[in-house]
Amino acid sequence: MPKLFFREALARAMAEEMEREPRVILLGQDIAAHGGSYAETRGLFERFGPSRVRNTPVAEAVTIGMAAGAAAAGLRPLVFITYLDFLLLGLDALVNYAAKLRFKSAGQLTAPMVVKATAGAKGQGPTHAQSIESWLMNVPGLTVLSPSTAGDAYGLLKTALRAPGPVVFIDHKKLFPRGGVVPDYEELIPVGSAAVRREGRHLTLVAHSYMSVLALQAAELLSAEGIEADVIDLRSLWPIDWDTLANSARRTGHVLSIEEGQVVCGVGAELAFGLRERIATVRIARLGARRVPVAASPVLEAFTIPDVPAIVRAAHRLITDTAAANPPSPSEHA
Amino acid sequence: MVGATDSLPRDAKDYVERLRRLRSMLRLRSFESALMRQPKPGFQLLSRGEEAIAVGICAALDRTDPLLCSGRSIAIALARGVPAGGLLAELIGKDGGPNRGRAGRAHVSMPSVGLFGAHGVVGGNISVAAGVALAQQQLASTAVTCCVFGDGACGAGVLHETLNIAALWRLPLVLACINNGYAVSTPVRTSVAATHLTDLAGPFRIPAIAVDGTDVDAVALATADAVANARAGHGASFLELRCARLATHSTLTREERSPAELEQLRDRDPLVLNEQRLRRETILNDALWMQLRAEVDAEIAEAERYARDAAWPDPEAALLDA
Repeated sequence: MPKLFFREALARAMAEEMEREPRVILLGQDIAAHGGSYAETRGLFERFGPSRVRNTPVAEAVTIGMAAGAAAAGLRPLVFITYLDFLLLGLDALVNYAAKLRFKSAGQLTAPMVVKATAGAKGQGPTHAQSIESWLMNVPGLTVLSPSTAGDAYGLLKTALRAPGPVVFIDHKKLFPRGGVVPDYEELIPVGSAAVRREGRHLTLVAHSYMSVLALQAAELLSAEGIEADVIDLRSLWPIDWDTLANSARRTGHVLSIEEGQVVCGVGAELAFGLRERIATVRIARLGARRVPVAASPVLEAFTIPDVPAIVRAAHRLITDTAAANPPSPSEHA
Repeated sequence: MVGATDSLPRDAKDYVERLRRLRSMLRLRSFESALMRQPKPGFQLLSRGEEAIAVGICAALDRTDPLLCSGRSIAIALARGVPAGGLLAELIGKDGGPNRGRAGRAHVSMPSVGLFGAHGVVGGNISVAAGVALAQQQLASTAVTCCVFGDGACGAGVLHETLNIAALWRLPLVLACINNGYAVSTPVRTSVAATHLTDLAGPFRIPAIAVDGTDVDAVALATADAVANARAGHGASFLELRCARLATHSTLTREERSPAELEQLRDRDPLVLNEQRLRRETILNDALWMQLRAEVDAEIAEAERYARDAAWPDPEAALLDA
């Protein structure tokens, strides 16, 4: 099977879906001749033309609002939000209109749209670095997807472009240049399906997006010490694949949730509660960013965001400190 | 500002159509009175004073032209063709409404009659309407999308973002701003720096016109021109429809205007003005007026019966379509 860069896998998914469904259109900043901020739309403007690959002004509110209206009126728009931080400018139409449309119209209207937004810290400072995808899990009516591999990016974006309602597709700046295997046949990945990246019996590491990459690296270091970890890549933040998570947690008895965003009301908080409702004896810890904004300096950024050593330390603490009633403090890594 | 005294609309020279418009306005007024007679009328934003705008706009749209509006939606929904009984049921939260009680006044929709939907967030439907217009353009439809919103949305960024992109992409869109003078208690002159609301469209080279919003024929004519312009591929227009909000902002809001000011507003009651004009032009007489009132009263009484007899939703229905 071919290896593609993450950005190429996205482009292939878009090209296939645009070929298949003429109602798919792309809206975003710098996506036309420029080929996308991360080169992920390269070739699409030349192939599908200016009416289907539309550069927008720097105006997220109207862009997402238009996508919602266009979706309700029969198109399948895909909106590009360069940095997830900027989704805040367009949240009104996404949350107050698109997510509620099927419900409030009693099924007469739907908004089949995709908002693709790029999260993650990569040296760009406080408002170009946030991972606030957990906020979106709170909104009824939104599907939230967040792949970590090229293959999943391909399969999940195709699924998103055929979904019946609004989908937020979160990718990550550090994923675009990574390569990965993408099937040479058409493959859709269903929503609500996590991937077991590695199997182990001592603890479960659960993450999404770029933190899944780090979790796998941490699992290799732990394995060298004789600690074998299950690594679960969520892929879908809502709906959550509780079956896969609970099966793993039941076997290992220990779950460490890792996320790049804040832990307060974060992905890990939801996972912990959901797992404890299912498995009363499971021990759970969470790891996320320190409770400060992400700085521009690489030194400060690295200190703020979880890294592989922090995951290893948190894993150690979780499986050795069995007497501790509480997980590690959320205000520090380990 | 354009009014019917300046130029009578082409189609409205037909007295049948002008009587129909008067009857339709009377119907909207009577409907809201019936709503306020309900045991629990709920949180409503009444359209009193805006009936000529609702009727005039709807007279100018084809059935397939999507109409979006703000949360002050009652007159527009009714004028657009949402059945009175169903609308009343929706407003009080019953299952017999077009949206099964989930939408209420702020979000009522019935696409089958051309009401694409209300939206309770001020300015929230403006960008959505641009997207509906984009879809019509992209799907090679000749439909024109019309979005009605209030003066309160004119200080919001999304209006300016939408004017910009609507001009850039020549969207088939009519932006119809109802200037009733107030956003809740805030006068428009203290919330928008522009001298006239029509000035807001100028920098984007979108044609804009101010219209006497108490004059149903003037509203219909101006809307028809804007729709024709969009249908011909010339892009968006901006209408400022000037009127008076005769009721408080909402059924829960304190009235901040002075009794003297409210007394003055009675001179701008579109229903009275239109009735008087038709009498002056000898299109209307007492007998005809009584007949119109009787017809409307009968329809509204039937609507009240429908809403009264409609079932409340099963609580579990809250879990459908989420």
